[in-house]
Parts: sequence; C-alpha cells; structure tokens
Amino acid sequence: MNLNYIVGHVVIGARSIKVNWPYMVSNLAFPLSLLFVVGILSQGKLLPFALVGGLLSIIAMNGITAVSYLGSLKFDYIYQDLIMTTKTSKIDYMFAHLLGELVWIIPSVVLYFVLDIIFSILTPYTFLMTLFLGALVSVATYSISFWFSGVVKNNRYTPAIGTVLGLLMITLPPTFYPYTYLPKSALYILTFIPTTPAVILAQGVFGIAPMQWYMLPVLIIETLAYFLIAKYLTKWRED
Amino acid sequence: MIEVNQIKKVYKDGNFALKGVSFKIDKKITSIIGQNGAGKTTLIRILSTQLLPSSGKASINGYDVVKNPYKVREITVSIPQEARPMLWYNSIDLVRMYLCARGMNMIKAKPVAEAAIKRVGLWDSRYKLAGDLSGGQKRKILVAMALASDADVIFLDEPTTGLDPLSRIEVWSAIKAIKGQVILTTHYMEEAQALSDDVIMMEKGKVISQGSVGELLKSFYGLVRVESKRRIKGRTSYKVGNTWISYVEKKKAESFVLKDDIIKPISLDDIFIKKGVNLES
Ligand SMILES: Nc1ncnc2c1ncn2[C@@H]1O[C@H](COP(=O)(O)OP(=O)(O)OP(=O)(O)O)[C@@H](O)[C@H]1O
Ligand SMILES: [Mg+2]
Repeated sequence: MNLNYIVGHVVIGARSIKVNWPYMVSNLAFPLSLLFVVGILSQGKLLPFALVGGLLSIIAMNGITAVSYLGSLKFDYIYQDLIMTTKTSKIDYMFAHLLGELVWIIPSVVLYFVLDIIFSILTPYTFLMTLFLGALVSVATYSISFWFSGVVKNNRYTPAIGTVLGLLMITLPPTFYPYTYLPKSALYILTFIPTTPAVILAQGVFGIAPMQWYMLPVLIIETLAYFLIAKYLTKWRED
Repeated sequence: MIEVNQIKKVYKDGNFALKGVSFKIDKKITSIIGQNGAGKTTLIRILSTQLLPSSGKASINGYDVVKNPYKVREITVSIPQEARPMLWYNSIDLVRMYLCARGMNMIKAKPVAEAAIKRVGLWDSRYKLAGDLSGGQKRKILVAMALASDADVIFLDEPTTGLDPLSRIEVWSAIKAIKGQVILTTHYMEEAQALSDDVIMMEKGKVISQGSVGELLKSFYGLVRVESKRRIKGRTSYKVGNTWISYVEKKKAESFVLKDDIIKPISLDDIFIKKGVNLES
C-alpha cells in the first residue's frame, strides 16, 4: 500500500480549493433543495428524514459523480496510465481519489450536522453512527464508480452513467421519507443499492423509524462486495 | 538492458499492431522512430507494463514485463504520449504528486520536484496552474516528472512534440542529464540524431533497422538528397507525395540539379525513403 500517494494526493489536492470550490457548492445544492422541497410538501413533518437522508445522499452523490471525474482522468488526462507504472496500486489510486474528493463535501457535512443540532436530533451516538454509515456508503459508491470508469471505452458515457446511478443511489431509496412508506417488495429490491440499508439504519439510529438491525450486515456485505468488484474486476492494465 | 523477443500485439478490434518485434537495448539513449501507426506507442506501453502483449517476451534489467510488472514499475518511469497534466494544479505540485505515486513522501518530494521544474525551464511559471501554461510548457511538466524520478529506465513517448525549437533543445539537455537509460520515440529525425546512441526504426509493426546513426547512414556516405519535381534520369528515384527523391554524390550535386531542385543533407528520413516508406519530410 502506497500511503505516501494517498496522503500526498489528498493534502496537495486539497490545496486546489481555489479551483475546486464550485464542487463544494454543487455538493450542497442538490440535497439542500430536496430538503426544502420535502420540508414544504410535508409541511415540516418529514424534515428530520430529509436531514438524515440528505447527509447520506451527499456522500453517495460524491461517490457516484466520481465516475465522470475518474473517467476524465483516465481518458482526457491519461493520468491512470501515468500512475499505473508507479508503486501505486489500483486500490491506492481509488482511495487517494475517494479521500481527495471527500474534502469537497466537508462543508456540506458540517452544515448537516449543524442542522441536526438545530433540530436537536444529534447525539454522540447518532453522530458516530452517521459517520460510520457514511464511510460505508462512500466506499460502496466510489467502488461502483471506479468499476464503471474502467468498463466504458470512452468518456462520452460517464456523465450519463453518473446521472442514472445518481437516480438509483439517491432518488429511489427512501432517503427523504420513512422507509416504511415503501411497499415491502420495493424495499427488498432497493436493498441492493447501498444507500437503502444505510438510510434504513440511519432512520433507526435517529429514532425516527423502527430499527432494523439486520440491515447492518446487509450494508457491510454489500460494501465489501462492491469493494471487491472494484479491487478485482476494475480494468487497470489494458489487455 | 532491455530485451524484446518476438513481441506481438493484436488489439481487441483485430488490429495487428506489432507483428513480432525483437531487439536488445543496452545503450544510454535510444530513439524509436517510425511513421504514425508504426507501433511505437504500443511497444512502449507493453514495455512499461500498461498493456499486455498478445505473445512474446520482454524484460527490463532481467524482470519480465508480464510476470513481474511490480518490479518493472519500480525501476522504470513511463510518460505516455497523450498524458496531460491536470489543469488545476501548479507544476511543482504535479511533479510532487507523481513522486508520491512513486513512493516518496510529500515533504521529501518538494525539493526534488522544484529542482526538476528548474531543470526544464519552468521555474518562472512554477506557481501558475497548468491550465494557464502553453501546450509546450505542459509537456515540460511531464518531462520534469521523468527527470525527478531516479529510475533506471525511462520511457518517453514523444517528449518534445509541440515544443518550440529552443524548448526542444532545453528538453534535450534535460534528457541527456537523466542518469538512467532513456528510450524515447520521436518524429523529429534531427532529435533522434542529436540525442541517441542507438536508433530503432519501426514500420507497420516491425523493426526494420537498428543501430547508431552513423551505422544506419553508412550507405549514404558522401551523398546528398535531391528533391525535385521530376524524375532524375539515370538515378533511382523515390516518389514521396508529388516529389521525386534521389541520392547524388555531394560533389556532383551542384552541377547536376535544376534550379528549383532542393539539396538536403542526409538524415534518418532517407532510410525510410529508401525502404519505400512514404515519409513526408
Ligand atoms: N487501443 C487500441 N485499440 C485498437 N487499435 C489500436 C489501439 N491503439 C493503437 N491501435 C492501432 O495500433 C497501431 C499502432 O499504433 P501506435 O499507437 O502504437 O502507433 P505509433 O507508432 O505510436 O503512432 P504515432 O506516431 O501516431 O503515435 C495503429 O494501427 C493503431 O490504429
Ligand atoms: Mg505513438
């Protein structure tokens, strides 16, 4: 494992904030506007759900939009080929970029925690559990992106894939309303999307819906599965 | 020492890019030259472990590129032909990140990156983002990455394409200063002549000649190249585009050619021309 690359990429990468600040804004824009819409439509009743799901959506969104970014590095900058011939393995590369991109959602995450405090739903337990679930969602979604960026043959496809995956990861799972609203059958199908078990667990943790602990192993196994797909099936060296 | 033995590459779409390439390189700087599509990039990508060959063997300092890619990567650097620096970083940070990828920590990497940026003549614009640099300056950042890493073998795929003549000389001297063995590709014959101890000439997926510039040009000794609009009588002429090319003794050339004929010194181009490869000079 090449920690020097991961650290170097994240630290030096964070210094490009002058160029990358629009990402911070765009990472905030989508879940905040949904928060607003959900708040209005439910006359405030679903706001806690939107808060809990909103934070996880930001993290999932960050992971999924990475498909365009990784594709661009691969096809436009030939950066993957450049790094491939060094000590850096594909998993080092994936984690360096995963962590590097997480930097741009720090303001959103902080803002969400502040909102949680304002709505008095944050406790040390909910805080830590949110970070834990967020980390799993991040690894799962980023793995999916990394794998897709290796599947496509040119970068024209990646924005489209990002959009579809974004819908699958964020809009379809019960991110902004109680998971109990969903018919059981839909819930089971959606369980294959890592945000679904994460959101169900988060709603339980925050005490706004019944707790379903069995979703924890589901989420962990899913994350592991997506990670292993990224590790073993992502195209790295061309054949 | 680089040993290549019967390397073949058929791309997935059926394109037969390398048709059995074999050679040995032990000289300091080697240039690979050949027309567009000759297979230079394919070969370099195979040697630097970015691409798997379809068959054949190749090794770098004894390490097999297929069986032992990690070891090969430790001792080699490869700058891809179409690589571009990420536009949102400055040149020093880009070289630093590359050094981190090679396993150096970011603190140690800083002075090394700075020295390399100085070496390629980018010092004055070191704080500019790569996006604000010219095309040639961007290429120089990539050359700086190769310079900064202390590798045994360095592959540079068209390192000077797009550089102005002065920058090219600057990069040449940087390349000459590299401690390890350098394998580069180029379309500039004068570059191959100025830089390399060994030249490999490729054509349609095959190596057609290898040797020092002197060895390769031996058969042209005492000759000059005459480019004219017509076929020169009594001489073998080669048609390139709508120009006829023939080779004439230096002393006779003046009296022999017409006013609008052009006399040029011999270069590596002439080997391709003589072999019947259509190479625009
Ligand atoms: N990814 C690929 N898939 C299919 N065919 C390819 C691929 N890359 C290159 N080729 C083909 O392989 C042949 C050799 O290409 P290569 O890029 O090695 O040439 P080159 O000598 O580097 O040319 P240039 O001087 O233009 O860079 C060409 O016919 C090209 O079309
Ligand atoms: Mg090429």
